[in-house]
Amino acid sequence: MDKPQAIVIGAGFTGVAVAYDLAQRGLKVNVLERGPLVNGTSGRTHGLLHSGARYAVDDQESAIECIDENLILRKIIPQVIEPNGGLFVALNESDMAYREAFIQGCEDCHISIEELTPRQTLALEPNLNPKLITAFKVPDGTFDPLRLAMGFAASANAYGAEFHLFCELQDFILDGMGNVKGVQYLDRSSNQIKEIHADIVINAAGVWAGEVAGLAGNIDLPIKPTPGVMVAYDQRLCQRVINRLNEPGDGDIIVPQRQMITVGTTSFEADNLDYIPVFDDQVQLMFERGCELIPAIRYTKERGAFMASRPLLDSGTKGRSLTRTFKCIDHKESDNVDGLVTITGGKATTMRLMAEKTADLVCQKLGMHVSCQTAEIPILSYRKFHLAQNREVA
Amino acid sequence: MTQTWHVTYEIFRKKGDQPSHFDRFEMEVDPDEYVLDGIERIWAFHDRSLVFSHACHHSTCGACGMLVNGVEKLTCITSIRSVTKDGGVIRVQPMRNFPVISDLSVDMTDFYQRMESVGHQPVVTIGYEDSKGKFNTEDDLLRLSDCIECGLCISACPIAMTTPAYLGPAVLAGAQQSGDLNPCVLELVDSENGAWRCHSAYECTEVCPSNVDPAWRIMDLRKKLVSRRIKKFFGIK
Amino acid sequence: MAEHPQKPANLIKWFDPRNKSLGSWAFILNRITGLGLTLYLFLHLIMLGQLARGPEAYDGFIALVKHPIFLAGELLVVAAAFIHGLNGIRIGITSFGIAASKQKQIFIGLMTVATIAIIYFAIRMFTH
Repeated sequence: MDKPQAIVIGAGFTGVAVAYDLAQRGLKVNVLERGPLVNGTSGRTHGLLHSGARYAVDDQESAIECIDENLILRKIIPQVIEPNGGLFVALNESDMAYREAFIQGCEDCHISIEELTPRQTLALEPNLNPKLITAFKVPDGTFDPLRLAMGFAASANAYGAEFHLFCELQDFILDGMGNVKGVQYLDRSSNQIKEIHADIVINAAGVWAGEVAGLAGNIDLPIKPTPGVMVAYDQRLCQRVINRLNEPGDGDIIVPQRQMITVGTTSFEADNLDYIPVFDDQVQLMFERGCELIPAIRYTKERGAFMASRPLLDSGTKGRSLTRTFKCIDHKESDNVDGLVTITGGKATTMRLMAEKTADLVCQKLGMHVSCQTAEIPILSYRKFHLAQNREVA
Repeated sequence: MTQTWHVTYEIFRKKGDQPSHFDRFEMEVDPDEYVLDGIERIWAFHDRSLVFSHACHHSTCGACGMLVNGVEKLTCITSIRSVTKDGGVIRVQPMRNFPVISDLSVDMTDFYQRMESVGHQPVVTIGYEDSKGKFNTEDDLLRLSDCIECGLCISACPIAMTTPAYLGPAVLAGAQQSGDLNPCVLELVDSENGAWRCHSAYECTEVCPSNVDPAWRIMDLRKKLVSRRIKKFFGIK
Repeated sequence: MAEHPQKPANLIKWFDPRNKSLGSWAFILNRITGLGLTLYLFLHLIMLGQLARGPEAYDGFIALVKHPIFLAGELLVVAAAFIHGLNGIRIGITSFGIAASKQKQIFIGLMTVATIAIIYFAIRMFTH
């Protein structure tokens, strides 16, 4: 009996997690990605393994998703995680005004927090601003973006999924009724056009999901590309994630990883999806905001500065108040185009859950009664990832 | 006030079985931005056929290693100012000693498998990694290890240039880092294509962007291998 | 792991010092001096062969090698021996994990000693 065939467009976090879940449930999966793994938004995360505390006040749906998935990822893929927790730090009166709502919000979302005195806080993180007023321990962490994706991709490989990197979608293959039956793509390594047919195509192209969906017909996806800057500095001045206790805002987080720290981020609207320049005033802002939390940043050297676009769901609101949750769209329901589903929005921390919901939808459409097991199975070593078998290498 | 420089990127191109060549792109750049930023703009605005590897843009993924003006660099943290001058050339090629997929991207699969087989630990206690294995702390704080598996050390190694059978600096450093010289790992590293094939060029440590110091680790590994043999010879445990 | 064909054609690239650092310079120097000393060994054996041919052949040969060009050649051999020997000590100790992190300083130190020794021998050999 032949396995049902699925094609996943995009090998960001969403794409690799969907490929894994579908392959694990018994589908034959081919992933198309125009670049290398996680070369879009996913790769450029500062690596925050979210406790959800940042969203506990204003976006509780996202916060609960984050804390639940945080605990699952720690269990199934510890090989890519620095599990040292985080702190929410208050420096002034404005920060303290947020304190009550923060405590209540975390309790509502079952995020376990612990308030510390300034002395206790500075004992844990001596480089913090000594004028801090209070701090809360939260179960944040740091993950390696490429290796998180490689781990899921390696597990997908083990169930037969193939990753066609440097292969760019050119067009959908449609049947007489406008339903999607396969894809035509350009293998950018060899400049050859190829085709794959499938029972279902999953659009996991992140910020580019709108462009991809548009190839299948007159489909309008509500994605608002919302870039932000990150700046990395060359000393690991904190061992845990440091967050500013306040509303989500520019420069409210410092994430340690290996021997450096990354300060993020900003939020603004953009037009060009493929390249967003680094704006010096934003880099300067990160520096200033970072120094408020960790004054010693002023003695470090900039190691890198970069931009990436969040794929936020447009519900009519602007910027940071856009929800950070995700959405599965069955295009048969919304646009009368069968054979295509889109999964969009979301956060890195909820990648596995996004894939679970997407795979549930796909299996429902294909009449397969298989449930998700990805929360239980440990992810394989990320080094077991390999490229598609038919790749000829020069 | 940001400066503007005019530089020429010379980019190595290779598609399928066709012969390789270099393409030139005249670019206006800020000298304090990074070599990778220019390459990304070339792809975004000038030549969508360009294939190159990148992911994190801040030296944790190890994907964007390339040869820049003949020297191994991690292009996301290498400023343009550090490799050329106003009016100068930035010659970009894929890393040496890896199979080329296309243009600037190479296949790291065999390399990752070797890192796996020597047991390099991706996440270790902070004290252990910071001290390069000298002491293990009771602390339960962990961090991702220094080695980002970028392959620059292997690209720079003269021995790796003449034989792909040589495990290479990162892999040997990985065996030293794990601290676990079990029989499987010993078979790999205590061999003619393992730690004994190194001939002290020290280029690996020179180009490592991530504080691994593979040359020192290879020599430390040799010290451990020799002391094992001596102990075994004298029947000491 | 798949087949691993050797790439001997790349050996010539070992001798290209461009874009390389001090450790590679030592690597290249060691190979050049090593090849030079090996070549000298052959020449030396040939010379010893001359001995076997009797006193006139030997005396003729000795007269030849007092020529400045040969003296220069011998100085090259002396230089190669010092460089190769002293650098060899550096490689020997660092290769077993002793002072490996100081390899650059050790190289500069030992090559300074070598330079002094070579200059001393040059003066001795050419002012006779």
